[in-house]
Amino acid sequence: MRDLIAPSCVVAGTLLMERVPMFFSRLAFTLVIASSLTLVACASERTPVRKSSTVRVVDDFGDSVEIAPAARIASLSPTTTELLFAIGAGARVVGRTSYDEWPAEARRVPDLGPGIRPNVEAILAAKPDLVVLYAANDNRDAARALRAAGLRTIGLKVDRIADFKRATALLGAVAGDSAGAQAVVDSVQRTLDRVHAATADLHHPRVAWQLWDTPLLVLGSGSYQHELIEIAGAENVYADDTKPNTQTSLEDLIRRDPDVILTDSSRASAIRRSSRWRGVRAVREGHVLAVDDETSSRASVKLGMAAVTLARLLHPEASIR
Amino acid sequence: MTLRRGGRPLLWLGLSVALVALAVAGIAIGTIALSPGAVWAALLGRGDATTITVVRDLRAPRVALAALVGAGLAMSGAALQGILRNPLAEPYLLGVSGGAAVGAVLAVVAGATSAGLVPLAAFAGAVLAVSVAMVVARAVGGRADPRLLLMAGVVVGAFANAAIMIVLANAPADTLRNATWWMMGSVAGAEWSGVRWLALYIAAGGLLLVARARDVDVLSLGEDSAAALGVRVEQSTRAVYLIAALVAAATVSAAGLVGFVGLMVPHLVRAAGVRSHRSLLAGSAIAGAGLVIGADLLARTLLPPAELPLGAVTALLGVPFFLARLRTLA
Repeated sequence: MRDLIAPSCVVAGTLLMERVPMFFSRLAFTLVIASSLTLVACASERTPVRKSSTVRVVDDFGDSVEIAPAARIASLSPTTTELLFAIGAGARVVGRTSYDEWPAEARRVPDLGPGIRPNVEAILAAKPDLVVLYAANDNRDAARALRAAGLRTIGLKVDRIADFKRATALLGAVAGDSAGAQAVVDSVQRTLDRVHAATADLHHPRVAWQLWDTPLLVLGSGSYQHELIEIAGAENVYADDTKPNTQTSLEDLIRRDPDVILTDSSRASAIRRSSRWRGVRAVREGHVLAVDDETSSRASVKLGMAAVTLARLLHPEASIR
Repeated sequence: MTLRRGGRPLLWLGLSVALVALAVAGIAIGTIALSPGAVWAALLGRGDATTITVVRDLRAPRVALAALVGAGLAMSGAALQGILRNPLAEPYLLGVSGGAAVGAVLAVVAGATSAGLVPLAAFAGAVLAVSVAMVVARAVGGRADPRLLLMAGVVVGAFANAAIMIVLANAPADTLRNATWWMMGSVAGAEWSGVRWLALYIAAGGLLLVARARDVDVLSLGEDSAAALGVRVEQSTRAVYLIAALVAAATVSAAGLVGFVGLMVPHLVRAAGVRSHRSLLAGSAIAGAGLVIGADLLARTLLPPAELPLGAVTALLGVPFFLARLRTLA
């Protein structure tokens, strides 16, 4: 997929920021263009960036923050780290969390510890121009502390495909490579469109995606994985629950009577062995499918791949490229 | 102190009827609405496959596990309050819960996903914590002093809690959720294999405690009276302590931490006028079983389809009773 990413050295004039808002479905990034971002950017790095070019956005903490092209980025979530590398801005990443393991090059970036309640001093020591945090309530204190220390800090939360697009666009802007970011987004979208078209006329099985066993959590409609199910030609029996995931009981699952149970491979074998799960028709009929955890665990550049994998899993009879 | 066997027939009848009624409700009520006829047919193995599984493999083992957990914790609490002569004594104060939690949390953090490993680790942790508490108490006091046993248990528990916090501080969200849920207690994952194993354990432990009930009667009067009455104080105290702790550890490994049962139920039964420890153990077992079955029924029906943490519901359910009875206890 990386070969689809545009060549990284871009010298652009004015960044067309009006393209960006249409991506922002959820927490509308209200962009107020303080000045046009002049991109003198090369993802091959070390180009000094003009500090004066700033843009004001509302991040996923709900805070209004100024952002500007940054040469040194501390990226404290696996998704944003993965996105920065995909854009071609990997060399700008000066810090990551202990869980950011993709792509392989990311492991060479200094490990700053956990991404939730991070170590603020470790982040300061990495001397970033910009800190990207996972926008969870647990990280608000860290964001406050980092901002008080004078560091630009934004919180991003990537739950849906639209979130992936706006996060990529935003990271493209701060990495000074909006064209590269757009190429990543376009490439993923093309794959999603292709999969959607290939499965549109197929029979849509009704599925439940089990995410956790104690408590029993299944996929609601608030997550990119729900969107992937629909793109891959299936129907989520828990679509009425708008949370990313929702707690349920086995009896409720039995009542909803899905045709297929999706889950990861270790849970799939546990379900096949369990006497309790035999109450689910899909389990009795042998329709427990293991989803490849590696491709489907984040709404990131592998979304397209995940859609292809899922569509092949759900429609083995069709040939999906 | 005399055993009042066969006394208070109304109390025993009431407790037994309540237990049976709660067990029937636990099997008949759930997210899927089933007619009593369908439930009965499914229990006998007739009807469609889904209903049979729901009744026989989802609800029935749940009710059975809840009953065993409640009975085990309540008996353990009754015995401990007797030998330690302390109304606040309960299995979780002895480091059982802390030790079990350390074991379970370590297993969860190490990535144990198989159903069998976490309970085993929890049991090992509980046994280790209890042994440490007993060794500490013995090393310090040289004899089975109830106060030392209690304090050693509390300190081991505090140490265990600190260890849990350190292990969980940097754990990823998934692990944290697993560990937290385990600590809140649940019988949602009950399977017959685990229930059979626990039934053997609780039955054996319960019988051993009942066999020592007379010693507990005497010990509860005080060490000197007990010695005067010919009880080998230390040996008896240690034996009862160990059995009670192991029974509690078994329940914890099967269902996580279900609070307040071990503390409250013996008091409630005592408040109903039961004095001898043989009757107290039996009454606590029945009342504890009923309480946890009822709490589990509420836990899974109050906010369907989500389930509430069992340990919290037992406390919510039991505390009002307890407060109402506090006057009688004073």
